[in-house]
Amino acid sequence: MVLRSCICLFCSILVLTSCSSSPEKAKVEKAKAEEITFASNLDTVVIAQMQFQPALLTVHKGDTVVFVNKGIVNHDVTERVNKAWTSGELPVGTSWKFVPAKSSDYFCSIHVVMKGKIIVE
Amino acid sequence: MSTFKTFIAGIPSIIACSMLLSLTAFAQEKPKLSDPEVASVAVVANQIDIAYAEIAKEKAKDKNVLHFAETMSNDHKAIIAQAAALAKKLGVTPKDNAVSQQLLSNAEKTKTALRSKSGKAFDKAYIDNEVAYHKAVIAAVETLLIPETENAELKQLLQNVVPALKAHLAHAEMVQKEFK
Repeated sequence: MVLRSCICLFCSILVLTSCSSSPEKAKVEKAKAEEITFASNLDTVVIAQMQFQPALLTVHKGDTVVFVNKGIVNHDVTERVNKAWTSGELPVGTSWKFVPAKSSDYFCSIHVVMKGKIIVE
Repeated sequence: MSTFKTFIAGIPSIIACSMLLSLTAFAQEKPKLSDPEVASVAVVANQIDIAYAEIAKEKAKDKNVLHFAETMSNDHKAIIAQAAALAKKLGVTPKDNAVSQQLLSNAEKTKTALRSKSGKAFDKAYIDNEVAYHKAVIAAVETLLIPETENAELKQLLQNVVPALKAHLAHAEMVQKEFK
């Protein structure tokens, strides 16, 4: 009985110690956080000064791209060749997210001289 | 008769040139403008392009000209809204002045010339005028309005508008190529 109590106490101490300060545990948690970040990788294109910045963006398949309109007028983001996808009109200060399935040239269909490209690797 | 027709056909270009020359002259002469006067010139310049766009929305036939006019109307209204919000914040009331008056006077002549056209001739006259007008306004904003402005926020707004004006010019020049 005394032996059982001692074993339980030892185990409790071991658990408490490992929870509070184990470097291995910390490593595991960090790895998980990186994995989550990688799984939901977010690339940003800022729309400002009548440009897509960056105009050329390379992403991994499955990455999310967010377009943020920091300009002074409304814009949109539209696939160039046959308008396969579009954000619709993006008012000033708003953003739009999407996961590109393949590489695309795109433009602002409101201001047709504004162009960009996404390369999906 | 053909000389008369040629003369009539050239009127929008003549007016656009006179607009360009008068704005360029202001940019070169650099009249002293207070911030309320700069605000007035900026608002008037936007209002004029909205007025041209409204005529185009009624008369244009070409889809690219119509699309351009729609964009001009929406963008210049958005810029005026931002200028108005800033003026309110700063407690500045736009003040009428010689530059604003000259712009409005020239714009009336241009609007009359545009209204006298129809069909493809209108589309060409409108887009030619937009190219000339945006060139003139860009020069005036960069060499007259921005240097004359004292308030940092008003100056920043004018600086932010320049890329939009340049994109409008590039867009207009792209559409203009259809008519050459």
